[in-house]
Order: sequence, then structure tokens, then C-alpha cells
Amino acid sequence: DRQTLVAVLQFLRRSNLRESEEILRREARLLGDDLGGGSAAAVASSSPGVAAVAAVPPGKGTKCGVSFVFGGSTVKERSASPCLCVPCQLTVYQEDEVGGGVVVEDQPDVSAVLSAYNQQGDPTLYEEYYSGLKHFIECSLDCHRAELSQLFYPLFVHMYLELVYNQHESEAKSFFERFHGDQECYYQDDLRVLSSLTKKEHMKGNETMLDFRTSKFVLRISRDSYQLLKRHLQEKQNNQIWNIVQEHLYIDIFDGMPRSKQQIDAMVGSLAGEAKREANKAKVFFGLLKEPEFDVPLDDEDEEGENEEGKPKKKKPKKDSVGSKSKKQDPNAPPQNRIPLPELKDSDKLDKVMNMKEAARRVRLGPECLPSICFYTFLNAYQGLTAVDITDDSSMIVGGFADSTVRVWSVTPKKLRSVKTAADLSLIDKESDDVLERIMDEKTASELKILYGHSGPVYGTSFSPDRNYLLSCSEDGTVRLWSLQTFTCLVGYKGHNYPVWDTQFSPYGYYFVSGGHDRVARLWATDHYQPLRIFAGHLADVTCTRFHPNSNYIATGSADRTVRLWDVLNGNCVRIFTGHKGPIHSLAFSPNGRFLATGATDGRVLLWDIGHGLMVGELKGHTDTIYALRFSRDGEILASGSMDNTVRLWDAVKAFEDLETDDFTTATGHINLPENSQDLLLGTYMTKSTPVVHLHFTRRNLLLAAGAYSSQ
Amino acid sequence: MEPAKMASPKSAPKDAQVMAQILKDMGITEYEPRVINQMLEFAYRYVTTILEDAKIYSSHAKKSSVDADDVRLAIQCRTDQSFTSPPPRDFLLDIARQKNQTPLPLIKPYSGPRLPPDRYCLTAPNYRLKSLQKKVSSSAGRITVPRLSVGAVSSRPSTPTLGTPSAQTVSVSTKVGTPVSLTGQRFTVQIPSSQAAVKSATPTTPTVQNVLINPSLIGPKNILITTNMVSSQNTANESNPLKRKHEDDDDYDNL
Repeated sequence: DRQTLVAVLQFLRRSNLRESEEILRREARLLGDDLGGGSAAAVASSSPGVAAVAAVPPGKGTKCGVSFVFGGSTVKERSASPCLCVPCQLTVYQEDEVGGGVVVEDQPDVSAVLSAYNQQGDPTLYEEYYSGLKHFIECSLDCHRAELSQLFYPLFVHMYLELVYNQHESEAKSFFERFHGDQECYYQDDLRVLSSLTKKEHMKGNETMLDFRTSKFVLRISRDSYQLLKRHLQEKQNNQIWNIVQEHLYIDIFDGMPRSKQQIDAMVGSLAGEAKREANKAKVFFGLLKEPEFDVPLDDEDEEGENEEGKPKKKKPKKDSVGSKSKKQDPNAPPQNRIPLPELKDSDKLDKVMNMKEAARRVRLGPECLPSICFYTFLNAYQGLTAVDITDDSSMIVGGFADSTVRVWSVTPKKLRSVKTAADLSLIDKESDDVLERIMDEKTASELKILYGHSGPVYGTSFSPDRNYLLSCSEDGTVRLWSLQTFTCLVGYKGHNYPVWDTQFSPYGYYFVSGGHDRVARLWATDHYQPLRIFAGHLADVTCTRFHPNSNYIATGSADRTVRLWDVLNGNCVRIFTGHKGPIHSLAFSPNGRFLATGATDGRVLLWDIGHGLMVGELKGHTDTIYALRFSRDGEILASGSMDNTVRLWDAVKAFEDLETDDFTTATGHINLPENSQDLLLGTYMTKSTPVVHLHFTRRNLLLAAGAYSSQ
Repeated sequence: MEPAKMASPKSAPKDAQVMAQILKDMGITEYEPRVINQMLEFAYRYVTTILEDAKIYSSHAKKSSVDADDVRLAIQCRTDQSFTSPPPRDFLLDIARQKNQTPLPLIKPYSGPRLPPDRYCLTAPNYRLKSLQKKVSSSAGRITVPRLSVGAVSSRPSTPTLGTPSAQTVSVSTKVGTPVSLTGQRFTVQIPSSQAAVKSATPTTPTVQNVLINPSLIGPKNILITTNMVSSQNTANESNPLKRKHEDDDDYDNL
């Protein structure tokens, strides 16, 4: 009956009988809606969204069904072309817009997004199409099979969602039952979420699934395999699958050998497929900023006394490796003033001097010389410890708790002191030399200070490099700045309106980054109440945010299983790293700025070369989520702490040596990961049922770890 | 989390079993047993709210019974209220593009702690003391009291010991730390008649006692203070009963 209707409409159109065509279409629309066209006018709430109906001539291919394409023009400024699905074979008729009926849509944005699904074939044939494709792929040559198997998952999800959107519930359910077992094991979590989406209404609330719809799933297939696929789909009249492939998948074709299953497995897993090659081609300045050179009053300056008249170059080695870089600009380092950074105050300079003195006494670590590990166990936390941070000089430790308190402890014999009250301050002698000591209140000095203010669990904490400020971010959507001199809250930064999962100060202070449930990361400065940059692009929550040591880039790990590197200067995403099979919870930059280590719920640590945008290593060993990753001070050892109650040490020097960076690898992004996790593992240290939440190398390369004792 | 106690005992009601099955289907294997109760309560509350709303909508539309469209409308309205979801991706990309166009602001050197303008900070006091004149004077009086409060505390206004000052014992209040020299003394309190007149005017005996004690202590300073006290006697009337109440409490502690 529908076919006859369409045929009649076509005939009317061809014979230029517009008015009768309009009338018939208007009446037909009532039927069309029942057949699953989408938005029913039964919704009483009227909104100003207007949708125009365009009918598509089923001339192309042999589609047995009718595709109604809804174009929604939204209320907002961007009243673009009415047709939002852009497949080339669909055309819009102007008559329809002018005289077409008004179908009232609520939530125009959402309907615009979902209307990408209106194209439909015959629902009962979906299973046929899919199994046909499956059969074809399984019968293809071995070398192509692995690559073509990548198609299964995105096709499965998109077809399922089309069925659900067009309200063919039973077909959707049987489709799911039949084919969900065939998918790869690492997609099981997604499939479980999918199994709960059985009705069209369910789709509206799920932002992640909506993003999945609109973004293209990226597949990397070699040219040969792609030709094979294309030929098969076009000749076999399965235009439905071909349509989906064209509309929802982005196939990144490369010339060369098809990849093996292992290579593919290493790189896939994210919610949006892999990364397009050109996404990782932008230049990244991963070098470090030059440290300012200044006179260092070293203890052994007396020895140098006779060299004072000597050339300045002789003094450099005494300044340790910090100032001894050549005068030439490192080509990979960003210019000093690429982003504005705060100037060094005297206290910062003193800090740097201390740093260098400590660095001189640093233990050189290596496979023969492993660090000692000192574990700070939080007792009686009752699973409430949600965030930990330690200052750079390891003098204070902060814990964020699920009861919304932030507690600061001093781990040195020096107690925490706050500044005196105004009344007492007026009594002190302002001219005395030790005025900075006198302004501190001895009476209330204690080892522990508790900071109250948040109204939800505190999920992230970060000390400022000058130890004057503390940041904490919480489920209540705010990031709070606390002063560590008065132990009071100074500012609450409201921007995320949803839980904020992580925050971190920049290594130079002043800037900080936060990432949360609203799928963006924001860059703030302490003296601006609104964010300076918004990094949008992830498909799911941003769970982990870290600054690069040169403060010009920010790495974000997300629940969509990708890691993105963003440029602070202009907010662009310069790198996308896929390969994890679970949400990412820990990130660590190597001290030389060239590499990034990431840990996720799948228990693997992946190592990435930032300059080339490639995965260079995979460390297997942990059996549960990795919440803490840290490189040693000179980058020789990578320590990882996990929920499986262990700390593992890995040889970073060996992991990063002899990288293949030939042209082919950089062009195609293919990697051959050696199975050397066992060789790189230097040690596994078990705690007694305490998951490791934080790791920190002191300036002398002692490893500090923190976690809350959980009694089961 | 507590180890899995997912298999509820056979006597669990059917709803609880259904909820346990749902949790299992969604892949949640470890949870505290209270979770089932919380989920059931949430489900009940949500469903009744939706159905009540749907009833209202259907009666508004003058329908005879509630049908699926009413329920759909009710769900939609409630979703916008309570379960707000984060903004959609294209909106976020849009505002990100706008925000990222502005260059990073330059940092002013040597500007002290870098904080936003005061109205965006939490550094201002968020309370204001309600200060009355009387309070000020009584507090002034209170400051001097520690010197004298030994006597004040010891002499109970309510007790008839006023009349028999000699029988009074100085109960040393532990809270008075400073006037050490006074605590050791036990002195009889005599009420000169001249001040008795003052006393009659004001029922506040502690202050009268203060007046009394002062002359016994040597020091013109004290006398000065007392004159202040006398002059402010009348004005401090309302606060003194309050003060007395505090001292009553202290008395019970001491006794």
C-alpha cells in the first residue's frame, strides 16, 4: 500500500499536478506517521521548530521502502538548509518547503540529530543484510578479513539504532539477540548500554549515543580491502548497508599492506573508531621551555671562586642539567612567549634553587637501582577517599573525600600554620626581619587542616607549584581555590554545571584545567571567573586532565576511551590517541615532554609518542583500573598504581628506545608493538588490600604512594 | 563495596527479585544490599510522579482515561526538570569556537594574589554582627569582670547569702584564670548601705557585688571602673538578667 502511494505521488509530480500531489501527501502523512516516520503531532507542547517533509523518489537502486527525510530547521541562528541529512542521493524539492505541512517538533536540536536516522529500508530485511555481509567477510581472504571485520561493530550499532528510532521494536530486539554475540569482547560494555535502549524515547536522553550518531565512526582500511568491499556492496543490491557506510562511517583509506588482527586490536576500542590520520598531523611543540638562568648561590660556590673570572660557560655544569641546554632554541620547544606565563617571583626563584640543590642529591634510578617506595595509607576513610595530591617538594599531602571535605596534612615535622587574624596582625612589629614568621599563628598550628565548602564528593585536588593555593573539584560542579596561608576558600569557579572529575594546576601556576561530565575540559586562570578556553570534542565525560610540562598543551582522557591533546593557545585538538578499551583514568607526561603514558580501566598502560602521534608501547600486567601513573624525575622509570593493590615499576628508557619512525609508519600510523611487557616490568609491589590512588616521586627520586585502606 | 550479596533470600518480595535481575542484566555484580531498596524506592517515586502528572494532563485534555500520550508528555516535562543532561555536542563546539577565538589575556606583573574581582570571590564576610549600644557597654563591663568575677561568681544572687556575706565561701570558679591573687583570698562581703540604695534600684546583684568588691581591692583604677559601671548600671539592665542566667549555669557546674 505504501508503495502504491509513493508511485501515485511520483506520477502526480511528474505530471505537474502539484496541488493534488500536496493534498494527497498531506493526507498520506497521517498514514506515514503511523508507519514510523518519527515525530508525531500528538505532542501537545508546541515549539517553534518547523520541519518540512521531502519525499525521495525511490528511483535509485531497488529500495523497497520509502524514505521520508525530515529536515528540521531549528529555532537558533543557524537556520541552515532544511535538509540535515547530507547523503548525496537524496534531493529536496522546493515545493515541499513552501507548501508542505508543518509537523511540530519539540526539541528541535534533538530531532535534528535523530533525523539522521530516518532513512530506512524494510526492517525485516536488516537481518538479511547483516548476515549477508557477515558471510561475505568471512569468506574473504585472510589478509582482508581482519580489516573488514572492523565494519561489524559500527554497522551493527547503527542498524540497531535505526530500527529502534523507527520504532520497530521487535525487529530491533531480534536483530540484537542474533548478532550481539559476534562482536568483539571489548565492546561488551557499550552493547550492554545499547541493550537497554529499546524505544525511541530512550535515545533522547542519552547524550553519548546521540554524539555517536552524529560523529562519523572512523575506520582505517587498506585500499585493496576497501575496493573489495565496495564492489561487493554495490553489486549486491544491499544499498541499505552501503547507505549506512556512506553516511555514518568514515573510511580512511591508505595504500599498503592490510593490517593484521593484532595491529588492529591494538588501535581500536574507542567510541568513535580510530583517529583519522590527519587528526594527528599538526605540529606539536613538545619540547620544554628554557629555564631562566640566574645566579645560583650554591654551597660549593667557594670552590668556584677561582673560576669567577673564567668564562661563564664553566659555571653552567654547576647549574645542573637545568640551565645547561645549548643557547640554540630547541626546534621542538615552543617560543617562550607563545602563551603568557606569570613572571618568577623571588619566592619562586628560591624554590628553584632548593629544587636544584635537591636535584644534585637525586638518586639515579635504573633497572639496577630501583626506588624505595613509601606508602601513605589513609585509615578509617571508609571508601571515602576520592582524590589525593602531594606538593612538588613533598611537604604536604591533601585528600579529597566523599563527604565533601578536603583535608590537608603536613608530612614533615613542620606544622601547618595559618596567618593570624587581623586583630593580632596589627600588634606585630612590621619592621622586624622575620615578619613572615611572625604573621603566622602558632596557637592554631596543627598537622591537619580541614577545609569545608564543597557540597558533594571531591573528585580532584591539585596543589599550586608555589604551594600557596589548592584547587579542588567536586560533584557539585564547582572548582574551588583555597588559600594555604589562611586555609579558607577564596573562589568558586562555576562553569561546569555537572560533576567535575579532575583538575590540575599548570606547572607554572596561574592556569588550571578542569574536566567533567559535560564532556568538555576548560582552561581557567585564577583571576578570571570564566574559563579562558573550552576544549570540546570528546563524546563522553572527560575523566582526566593533565598539563604538558611546557604548559602549552593539555592532555585529556575520557570515558569515550580516547586521549586528546589540546593546544592551549587556540583550543584546537592536535592529537587523538585511540587504543584503550575502557575509560581512561590516569595520564602522565614524561619529564622531557616527548611521551605520554595513559592508564585505563582495561589494566593496560599505553605509551604514546607525541611528536609523531603514534603508539609506541603497551605495558600489560595490571589486572584492574590504573589510577596512578608517574614518571621518575629524570624519566627513567615509570611507576603505575592500580586498584589491584599493586604498584608496578617499568623501565621507561628501554620502552622508548629504538622507535620505528620511518616514513611508512608515520604516514599510515601502523605500529608493530613488541610483546615486551615482561621485559620492561622491573618490579611488582603489593599492598595489603589498599588500592593505589596516587604516586609521586620526590625530588630525590623516592617514590611516594597513597591510598585508602579498604578492609576487604 | 561489600562483597556480592546479590542472591537475595528466598523470602525477598518479587519487586526486589526483579530489581536484582535488572542489576545483573546491566552488568552490576557487586553492590550493597541497600542498593536494591534505594532503587525500588526511586522507581516507585518516579513512576507515581509521572502517573500523577499524566492524570493531570489527561483531565486537562478532557479525556476519559490516561493514555500513552499523556504519559509521554509527563515524562518529557519531568525530564527537563529533574534529569537535565549536558548540552549537545554541536552547541558545545559552537561555544568552544567562540571562546577559543579570543587570545589569552596578558598577565600583569607584580600584582599580588591573582584573584577575580571581589564580587566573584568568596573572601568577603558573609555575616554581619548585630551590635547594640547596650551590648557594647555590658561587654565593656564584662571585660573588667574577670578581675572581679571571682566575687561575682561566688556570690549567688538568688541565694540569700547576700544578707549573710560572712557565710559566703568563695567558690573559686575554674574559668577565671587570670586573677590568681584574688582567688586565694576569702573575703567577706559587706554591703554598705549607700550602695544598697543602688542595689534596690537594680535587681542585678552581680553588678552590685562588683561594686562592692571593688573598694576592697586596692587600686584607683578599679574605682574608676566601678563608676563606669554604676553609670551604666541602668542601661545594662536587660543584658544583666541574661548574664545572670549564664552564671546560674556556671553555678550548677561548680556545685
